[in-house]
Amino acid sequence: MNKAILSILGRDRPGIVAAVARVLFDQGCNIENVSQTMLQNEFAGIFIVSLPHGLAVETLHEALFKRLSVVGLHVHTKPCEPPEEAGAAKPSEPFVITTRGPDRKGLVADMSQVIASYGVNITNLQAVFKGGNEPGDNLMIYEVDVPLTIDPQALARDLRAKADTLQLDINFQHRRIFETLHRI
Amino acid sequence: MLTQREIVSTLEMLKNENLDVRTVTLGVSLLDCAGSDLTQMRQRVADRICRLAGELVPVCERISQKYGIPVVNKRVAVSPIAVVGAALAPAEMVELAHTLDAVAREINVDFIGGFSALVEKGMARGDRSLIAAIPEALATTERLCASVNVASTRAGINMDAVILMGQTIKRAAGLTADRDGAACTKLCVFANIPEDIPFMAGAYLGIGEADAVINVGVSGPGVVKKAIDRALASNPGMDLGDISELIKRTAYKVTRVGELIGREVAQQLQIPFGVVDLSLAPTPNVGDSVGEIFQSLGLLAIGVPGTTAALALLNDAIKKGGAFASARVGGLSGAFIPVSEDLNISEAARNGHLCLEKLEAMTCVCSVGLDMVAIPGDTSAETLSAIMADEMAIGVVNNKTTATRLIPVPGKKAGDQATFGGLMGHSTIIPVNNAAGDNPFIRRGGLIPAPIHSLRN
Repeated sequence: MNKAILSILGRDRPGIVAAVARVLFDQGCNIENVSQTMLQNEFAGIFIVSLPHGLAVETLHEALFKRLSVVGLHVHTKPCEPPEEAGAAKPSEPFVITTRGPDRKGLVADMSQVIASYGVNITNLQAVFKGGNEPGDNLMIYEVDVPLTIDPQALARDLRAKADTLQLDINFQHRRIFETLHRI
Repeated sequence: MLTQREIVSTLEMLKNENLDVRTVTLGVSLLDCAGSDLTQMRQRVADRICRLAGELVPVCERISQKYGIPVVNKRVAVSPIAVVGAALAPAEMVELAHTLDAVAREINVDFIGGFSALVEKGMARGDRSLIAAIPEALATTERLCASVNVASTRAGINMDAVILMGQTIKRAAGLTADRDGAACTKLCVFANIPEDIPFMAGAYLGIGEADAVINVGVSGPGVVKKAIDRALASNPGMDLGDISELIKRTAYKVTRVGELIGREVAQQLQIPFGVVDLSLAPTPNVGDSVGEIFQSLGLLAIGVPGTTAALALLNDAIKKGGAFASARVGGLSGAFIPVSEDLNISEAARNGHLCLEKLEAMTCVCSVGLDMVAIPGDTSAETLSAIMADEMAIGVVNNKTTATRLIPVPGKKAGDQATFGGLMGHSTIIPVNNAAGDNPFIRRGGLIPAPIHSLRN
């Protein structure tokens, strides 16, 4: 069965998910996964849907665009690639990198470059920059999967070195410690 | 996906509230190292400890880095040396003590415990040798800790042993007079000693334990204090039941960390995991104090009226929160009140809020006893024994562990300062009633019988 992935962006207000879901239902699509978030006042949602036989991705996009553009929402639609073969993903351990420190341009670019240089995948990134020099106001949280073939402490050392140049206070911890502390 | 709140809260506990694992203690059985040839025994003991504990420190450090949680102390606890060295003379016991100290240095552990005897019902030859060796052994070693169990709920109080320990403490203090009697900071006298304490100076590996075991001591008084402060700031009307619930939840989190680290250390060393001792153990650092919790609860200082009730609440909530967080809880598990090791408690003693008698009352409801209490140097051996006997009676009758770690500071009097250094801290010397006087009651010796509720079988 063909699948499509859609992203919806726009100023947040009640009824966005209802509007999207109504179009998908009318087109005979089945919603398989949804993730939505809000950054400040902006809504962002990603939907993976399975398409009924005979429905082209372009047709679905037109229907969504017609319904959503009039209320100021941006839609992007594309065919969804089948997932990689099971077992193709490298075995890895989940770590969490957190940084706190004064806000400046390029923090995410510099830190993520170090992460990428190790071939480490970022699975979730949250960043809050309220500006100024108050460390607690400027927080980056990277959840990453570190392949078992990589020495996590080597990555931690390089991240610390980079964080020092950016005056960031950095922590590099296995994800389990956060779950252990807060979840039963 | 982790929430921002979970992450920020964890970082706060680590950065600002001194959350850590206070000790990972590897228990090592030395029972099959026993013999009558000292040279051979020393070699066997050293080989055994190095083989089992050689990797303890590097493994703890690797796991500490992995989780970003400090493991403050790495320690070894061995079988009671009075049993292992039952055939030795006191001078030979001292040599064995030197071996243990040298091994501790070699594998870089902070302390090694188990220079211990269990004499609650009577003393065997090895026990007498060990107790006779304690003063010199502690005065001439750096990392060795000693403990003697002189009482139990099942056996009563061995007053002959209590008398002997009074004399032993005096001698140990005298041999380290230039260091304010520091040898006594490494010597605990117990009633109902648990077999699996990871904390010093009472740690030893019980006779009923396996060849080796990893026990973990957690801490976290700073985390508890900050949790209370935050909760009261947002809800000043909280009652004590609400506060108890809050401490339980906090103790749960702290204990979970210990369980996680302990299990992973045990797995990597391929040694069974034993227990988590879920105690609030302070250090002489600001923000890492049990005493400060009492002020957060609304008391002027630890020691004023209300303190025993507050401690009962605290101790109970820690046990209940921790018990749910760990598969096996053991050791002392409760709140520690070591005077010199806790900046705030030490300050309360200096200001006169905390006296020996109030401390004794508090030990009825906490997990240890008169811990790290500096007393005048002219306190007689008999008075030391009498203080110990009182403390042992509390433990024996209430079916709980109690202990004393008393330091009669040579040449100093009540109100003077005693400094022991490092984790042992410093303290104002507390006055003792009838310090230098004699005590015919104690001199009678013998056995104070076990209470009626010991007849359970």
